[in-house]
Amino acid sequence: MELVDKVLRGDEGSAARLISMIEEGRDEGYEAISLLFPYTGKAHVIGVTGAPGAGKSTIVDKLAISFGRQGGKVGIIAVDPTSAKGSGAFLGDRLRMRNAEKLEGVFIRSMAHRGFPGGIAKATLGAAYVLEGLGKDVILIESVGSGQTEIQISMICDSVVTVLTPDYGDEIQLMKAGLLEIGDIVVMNKTDRPGAVEAAKDIEFYLMSHKKQHWQIPVLTVEAIQGKGVEDLIAALKLHRTYTVENSQGSSKKKENIKRLVLAIFKEEFWGETLKKIQDKAMFDDIFQQLQNSTIDPYKAVRMVMDLALPTE
Amino acid sequence: MENKKNMKVLIAKPGLDGHDRGAKVVAQALKEAGMEVVYSGLHRTIDQIVNIAVQEDVNVIGLSIMTGAHIPITQKLFQKIKEKGIGDKIVFVGGVIPSRDVPKLKELGVVGVFPGGTPLAETIQFLQSISKKG
Repeated sequence: MELVDKVLRGDEGSAARLISMIEEGRDEGYEAISLLFPYTGKAHVIGVTGAPGAGKSTIVDKLAISFGRQGGKVGIIAVDPTSAKGSGAFLGDRLRMRNAEKLEGVFIRSMAHRGFPGGIAKATLGAAYVLEGLGKDVILIESVGSGQTEIQISMICDSVVTVLTPDYGDEIQLMKAGLLEIGDIVVMNKTDRPGAVEAAKDIEFYLMSHKKQHWQIPVLTVEAIQGKGVEDLIAALKLHRTYTVENSQGSSKKKENIKRLVLAIFKEEFWGETLKKIQDKAMFDDIFQQLQNSTIDPYKAVRMVMDLALPTE
Repeated sequence: MENKKNMKVLIAKPGLDGHDRGAKVVAQALKEAGMEVVYSGLHRTIDQIVNIAVQEDVNVIGLSIMTGAHIPITQKLFQKIKEKGIGDKIVFVGGVIPSRDVPKLKELGVVGVFPGGTPLAETIQFLQSISKKG
């Protein structure tokens, strides 16, 4: 395929076009991914997750510059939310990546999540393959940043950085299922603020007392805007990379993750296709009519829709 | 979840102009109309804007210009997008644009000119009519 050849030769425009095709779910896009797939798997794919305003974009900007200075070829995928009220999105991450943008060879792509769960878009993994095909060896993925449920980002990344700020909350927040379960490295950002060092210590203590795997999650203090602590973060990322390659616990986690991601994408595609098949049936409208008239309860409605979608023989 | 083509628009602020309230209002309105909007931020060079347009694979580039330099800026943009092989992008211009300059901008290749005060609905409708054609 000509487009794939162009991507492999380093043509940015072709890579950008191909990413759009994957976003649109076009067959050509998926065929191109199959052709690119044998060239992938060597790049270090790094996810950056954390609450809105925690400093993810700024950290991605600084990481890109440092990796770039060390000779790395950096690609960035920045995912922002699609409006819950429609298909629109405001993609504002690259605004804070202006320093990285100036660096020769850095490719930045913003992406709306288009309703996909878990902090990324369905096309994010495909875009990472395209960027690797384009010759990038470090790929930074910034998640939507909706908090505790961004599990999907850990499925497509080798290393995940969780960005917290001193006002993250307390131990109760850490005990809740979520954020600390997906990160391989925790960054306490905005350490110029009061209480940051103490907060980092609290998290470190919590993680040490709840260690479940061979990898001990480090807690690093960073002041991203000033670039403080970024070199330590790079060192930690490289250490984690070595761990995932050499340690059996690390590599088996990756195999398990890719299976979970495929099931997640399957769920979305299956849902889309199923809905297309049943939404024009008269019975479909009828169920919702009954629901809105309160003649059936919501769970009953779900069971009826299920029967419509998957009739028992 | 839908697999579909969605209109993607770059709202860009070229040059020394430091006023982006209008650009943000337009970006917000286009988002609410269902488009995916990339905002460039302030003080971007034409080279940077064209690079963003390439990497983001946008369909439309909207320039917001308040400095009075809309003609040379637009001229340079068209020169650069042609060089980069993305001369097919739809370009519109907003900001402080005297009506006497509108014909000149259109001659350069600008498809729509929306000076400050244009109702947002007009800009949205214009972009939606283009996406139907495309």
